[in-house]
Amino acid sequence: METLLDLWAAYGSTIAFAMVNALFALSTYAVLSTGVLSFTTVVFAAVGGFLAAQSVAHLGIGLWPAFALAGIGGAVAGSVVAAAFLKLDSHWMALASLALVLITRVTVLNTPLLTGGVNGLVVPMSVPMGDLVILLALVAAVFWRLHRSWYGLAARAVREDAAVASTMGIPPRGIQFTAFVISGAVGGIGGAALAFTLQFISPETYFIGMAFTMIASTVLGGSFHWFGPIVGAAVFTALPVTMQSVLPAIEDVAKGVVLLVIMIFLPRGLVDPRAVGLRRAARRRVSAEEGTDV
Amino acid sequence: MILFLEQALNGWALGSLYALFGIGFGLVFSTLGILNAAHGTYASWAAIVGYYVVERAGLPFPVAVGVGVAAGGLLALAVDQIAFQPLRSRKAGMLGALITSIAFWIILDSLAGFATEQQSLAFPAASFPSGMIDIGPMKVGQLQLIIIAVLIVCTIGIHLLIQKTRLGTAMRAVGWNEVAAALGGVNARMVILLTAFLAGATSGLAGVLAGAATSNVSFTLGEGLMLKGFAAVVVGGYDDVRGTAIAGILLGIIEVFVAQYVSTALRDGFTYSLLLIFLVARPRGLFGSAGFVRA
Repeated sequence: METLLDLWAAYGSTIAFAMVNALFALSTYAVLSTGVLSFTTVVFAAVGGFLAAQSVAHLGIGLWPAFALAGIGGAVAGSVVAAAFLKLDSHWMALASLALVLITRVTVLNTPLLTGGVNGLVVPMSVPMGDLVILLALVAAVFWRLHRSWYGLAARAVREDAAVASTMGIPPRGIQFTAFVISGAVGGIGGAALAFTLQFISPETYFIGMAFTMIASTVLGGSFHWFGPIVGAAVFTALPVTMQSVLPAIEDVAKGVVLLVIMIFLPRGLVDPRAVGLRRAARRRVSAEEGTDV
Repeated sequence: MILFLEQALNGWALGSLYALFGIGFGLVFSTLGILNAAHGTYASWAAIVGYYVVERAGLPFPVAVGVGVAAGGLLALAVDQIAFQPLRSRKAGMLGALITSIAFWIILDSLAGFATEQQSLAFPAASFPSGMIDIGPMKVGQLQLIIIAVLIVCTIGIHLLIQKTRLGTAMRAVGWNEVAAALGGVNARMVILLTAFLAGATSGLAGVLAGAATSNVSFTLGEGLMLKGFAAVVVGGYDDVRGTAIAGILLGIIEVFVAQYVSTALRDGFTYSLLLIFLVARPRGLFGSAGFVRA
């Protein structure tokens, strides 16, 4: 029990960041699961983060209303981005969304009234660990429900082959638009959670580094099941901390090498429903053969 | 007026660096289908290698440029073979390669930090052509003129290579569909290796020249080039070298003029506003053609 408490003291903030990153990874997964590679979660996070920080500071609202507001703001941003960018094909979509991340930073820098500009913004509220756990559980429950719904099935069909999906009466654009709204809401909530965890946000908070962190978390964990991004975010957040204790001199290099090795040997990620299914089928086949032998 | 013209040339030279870098980035994206986050580090490493060639080995600047270009190309080859080839053979698509390129970005950036001891190094002023030339009443840096000329030569050369030669045809074929190209008798693996080398070498060239022109040889060099080169690729259209070149020059000139006549703080703001306008109004870039994909 004692060691458990020590662990908590030492790695509590890592666990908090892992949960925040899990929200970002889920937001990225929401669009990725309909076959769109987009970095716009950073944009939604910035909208949610600054919205939550300002409304807590000036309107005096509580933690959960701030999360709700951030989610709504992110969802609105998501629908705007989707309306503007969904007409692009996949390569252009990836480039455009990355460009939008660069533009977001410049916008944040040049609107000091809303965002504090270069100096950043101090957030006068923090999120207790328990609330963060509840938040992540709620979001995960939504994804679990979506995964089993008609929407989840349609999303997987659109990802596999949009043309085939549309011949079966699934509107690919409509599904992807919905995915962006979901991604926006979750990204906005994640942005607010990050703001309340860091208690200080600046233009550099929501930038390229975050874009790459969340896409790496999502793909590392596996982008074919909602549980993958959560696992990926945990691994990717814990990686630097672990490497620091093992190889302090070259922790960044070691982190890169681990990421590289995992991706080369498990290109579909750590959580892969297809691999689970294949293994189960193989086991069933083996037991069936044994059955016939006897 | 003279200041205006001088600044226009300065902007042109700066933009030429962005464009030169962007050409390499766009080549990888259009031919190999990889959004390569590690591309900026090729430029950083080319500049670092070039710096050590001048500083430690005492060789002249043209040799440093040559060695830097070769280093950029070889690094790109190595990254391609280690990070992208295993995924390519498994048909993992753009996503896996993006993540391995992020991994290499982290690795190479951090190693570059060690190589320069976390400092920003600078080529000794005497080692490269840093003097000024008088053109009428204007004073223009020699290196600026060299950079402008290099971009023109590279753009024309690569454009002709891609559009007019058998190798270029093969590159476009592989970019369209690797399997179909292989069935048509193209040695896809060879084309991929050559493309990777060419892209790394072009960006390496941009890196060495930028390192000399901005007196900054460190891992931040590649990051800066990456952000602006990326903007040039988006504005110009990734599948056309000419578009990238023109867009890069345009961005450089705008940047210098905004800094000179408006405000330094708004420099990036203007660049990225232009980027946003292009994304909404003309998302396929200056020379972009309508793409067709199976319905």
